[in-house]
Amino acid sequence: MSVLHPDEATARRLAGLVPAPVGAADPGKGDGSLEDEPGKRAPLVLGNRSFGDVTNIVCGYIENKPARWWLPTVLFTGSIAGLGGMFIAYLVITGIGTWGLNNQVDWAWDITNFVFWIGIGHAGTLISAILCLLKQRWRTAINRSAEAMTIFAVICAATFPGIHIGRQWMAWMLFPLPNANAIWPNFRSPLLWDVFAVSTYGTVSLLFWYMGMIPDLATLRDRADARMRRNPNGATVLPFVPIRIDRLRAFVYGLLSLGWRFSSRHWHRYETAYLVLAGISTPLVLSVHSIVSFDFATSIVPGWHTTIFPPYFVAGAIFGGFAMVLLLLIPFRSLFPRMSDLITLRHLENMAKIVLATGMMVGFAYGMEFFIAWYSGSQFEQEAFLYNRLMPPFFAGEEGRYAPYWWAYWAMIGCNVVSPQVFWFKAMRRSPLVIFIVSFLVTIGMWFERFVIIVTSLHRAFLPGEWHMFTPTLVDIAIFVGSCGVFLTLFLLFARYLPMFAISEVKAVLPQASPHYHPEPAGPAGEKGGH
Amino acid sequence: MTSASSHSHADHHAQASGDGHGHGPDRAYLLREDNITLSPGTGRGLSRALLGAGVIGIVLAGFGSTMIGPAGASHALAALHVGVMACLAVTLGNLWYILLFSLVRSGWSATIRRQMENVASLVPLLGVGVIGICVADLVLGHPLFRWMGEHQGDYLLSKKSAWLNQPFFYVRIVVYLMVWTFLARRMTGLSLEQDRTGDKWLSAKAAATGAWGMLFFALSVAFASFDLLMALDHRFFSTMWGVYYFAGSAYAGIAVCILITASLRRLGRLEGVVTEEHNHDMGKFLFAFTVFWAYIAFSQYFLIWYSNIPEETAYYIARKTGGWNALFSFLVFGHFLVPFILLLFRPFKKRPGLVMAMAGWAILAHVADVFWIVRPSVYASGDFVDKIGVGGLWVDVVAIGGVMAVFAALVIRKVTSGVLVAVNDPYMDQALEHKNYV
Repeated sequence: MSVLHPDEATARRLAGLVPAPVGAADPGKGDGSLEDEPGKRAPLVLGNRSFGDVTNIVCGYIENKPARWWLPTVLFTGSIAGLGGMFIAYLVITGIGTWGLNNQVDWAWDITNFVFWIGIGHAGTLISAILCLLKQRWRTAINRSAEAMTIFAVICAATFPGIHIGRQWMAWMLFPLPNANAIWPNFRSPLLWDVFAVSTYGTVSLLFWYMGMIPDLATLRDRADARMRRNPNGATVLPFVPIRIDRLRAFVYGLLSLGWRFSSRHWHRYETAYLVLAGISTPLVLSVHSIVSFDFATSIVPGWHTTIFPPYFVAGAIFGGFAMVLLLLIPFRSLFPRMSDLITLRHLENMAKIVLATGMMVGFAYGMEFFIAWYSGSQFEQEAFLYNRLMPPFFAGEEGRYAPYWWAYWAMIGCNVVSPQVFWFKAMRRSPLVIFIVSFLVTIGMWFERFVIIVTSLHRAFLPGEWHMFTPTLVDIAIFVGSCGVFLTLFLLFARYLPMFAISEVKAVLPQASPHYHPEPAGPAGEKGGH
Repeated sequence: MTSASSHSHADHHAQASGDGHGHGPDRAYLLREDNITLSPGTGRGLSRALLGAGVIGIVLAGFGSTMIGPAGASHALAALHVGVMACLAVTLGNLWYILLFSLVRSGWSATIRRQMENVASLVPLLGVGVIGICVADLVLGHPLFRWMGEHQGDYLLSKKSAWLNQPFFYVRIVVYLMVWTFLARRMTGLSLEQDRTGDKWLSAKAAATGAWGMLFFALSVAFASFDLLMALDHRFFSTMWGVYYFAGSAYAGIAVCILITASLRRLGRLEGVVTEEHNHDMGKFLFAFTVFWAYIAFSQYFLIWYSNIPEETAYYIARKTGGWNALFSFLVFGHFLVPFILLLFRPFKKRPGLVMAMAGWAILAHVADVFWIVRPSVYASGDFVDKIGVGGLWVDVVAIGGVMAVFAALVIRKVTSGVLVAVNDPYMDQALEHKNYV
């Protein structure tokens, strides 16, 4: 018997496992969301859902038994995370010589991974802040999960500079804390600005995400409470632990919901706070990755010092972040029941368009860097681009000079600039499979972008006597793979225990939420089941 | 014609809302003829006066160039260049907004887009200005694009000659102008055709043009800004330069759109069509690009300052010494800090008088920005005050003012010549009922 309702059929309906009756589908519009007619807005929630349906679907993911794949998957990703943790322990005990770093390439995978992860987070902030200010209503389907992704990405990102410092037990010295040695961080270093930028970003993102969840957590609390009153002898946490699941839920979600009572005064303050946080987060989207780009661009290393870096890094971060959102949500919307009613093909298409647009911005920046490296007349810049990055061995010419990392550069171009071009075609940006493949390529490409920037510039700098190649060690690889495990584990836990959608916001984009809404006269196809 | 077509759409709207009660705005009333057209002859006098004043200003500048010493030709031509580049930025900014709004299927902007089209369609005339500058530069022996003249033989220039050579330069200028003219004509053409035919699918065509048009726009504006502004000092290079010019364009572009729509409201037109809600959103764009410009300008300056390598710092040293530093400070406060703080407050984005003041100020700040870019490339540090003296500034005033007056005259002529909104835009209903709510 389901915890939702004694009657199995009703419970399935309440859990959103059975769609509500829908009107006749238009085969020309995909799942019904691919409205192309100018002036018309596509429906943002499919399946003729009621307000109650939305609550039931979203809460159902948490209240129903998890799907069979969930526990094995989370155990698998958790083991990868654990493995990464063990390698970090090994690194701390032994020292960062266990990485492939050398005197010349003293930043490599660690900083690549840091920039990669911090960039991933930007999509979440863009969706929750900038798209909110731009009144993009479609953001409601993806904002919560993208914000969660932001937090987890920041956690992964923050790990890498922390373990890169060598004496990790001195990590607290990154912060300007008074200490007996009178050692003070160098405020002129962009690396210190990074500490402030990333910690501000993490804090504001966490606040934004958590504050947005409060009403939904209160909904979960109230539903658990109501079920417990109906059925005080409900299921226990484990067969031999005499704690009722719903009592536990009511307690935990009750704590987290901070006394939210759905009063209009609460909602009023909530919306004001939301707008303020959106306003604060918007400059953060731009500032964090701009400051990350300063880590490189304030130096005079050829290939690093170029003025377009700040907006180029921001565009790249949003690009990589949206690819990651798509990479996560496309499988989820197939695996979770009825999620495809909330995340429609139109949502995927919109995100594919953003991937195309930001991919072109990144391509524009690559082009500008290359052009100006030539135009500047600076031999160092030209050599850095030609013989550190670009020149493949088969074009090496008579002197036989080529860029040893040419494959990384061209992998970056192929993944970031070429692969999103398929989204010029409507059929491609409306196919979840194609979007998934391109997002995967973009994620790889964005990792390579940071690798190319960092390693290719460093491995051959001004003194040829110090030229060194970089080769990753097992520890490099295992810690990066481990960070992917941490990220996926956290996301799976989030999907299981926290509301993946902002319930009230999804309700606000239903047609019946519009002040101009007048229901169609009931016809045989338009009839809706009671709830 | 107008009232008939809007009437049929009112019917359509009533049907579309499903109940025949006509919820939402009364479209037929709002788009009535006397609300969306100007009475014949409006603005003709002003337009003629501005045109006359502008031509006199430009002639005076030419005359003045002979009076202020050997650098006079450089001086006057650079001043005219400032005027042309500032007005070009305004048209390109408006072209960008049209491409963007069509591409993203924006609803609220349907009532203001026609004015943006009016400004953007002046691109060919600005092209005449750009070509005029180039011809004058050629005839006078390159007092402006000095890499073609006195700097020939420079070692750096020889390394750049594949790009910075005369024939290729002129070909590129023509290509940029053709790209912009094509995009502007295509976008305004589709919109005007929609006025006549009412075919809503033309908006889908405009969206498709917006997609690839944005690509060509980005590349052409970036390289044009390299050629027309950055190359004034052939030693300088900055990957950010195209973005910097674009940021100024979008800033000055929305300012002019605000001025036009607000003036039309003063004339008693567009009542209920362009409301305070639209003002508010245009004001938000003005605010956004105040910040964006500052972000780009700061990043560019900061990275060059911090790295402190002479190839790049020379550019800023020339612009921060010899009296130019005052202008630099003015940009910090006038182009960013003051408008940033004021535009945080809602009345400055919403109330017609205040938003007009902010827009007018934005145009002034933009001209100052272009002036600060162009002027010091003509005078070595300190030369301006030493050789010309403050007395020479009147040439700048008449030249820049003259170009802007001609531009304003053309804008007025364009605005007054047609219907003031794209009446058959399929997003018109959404734009008419646009509310910001919070």
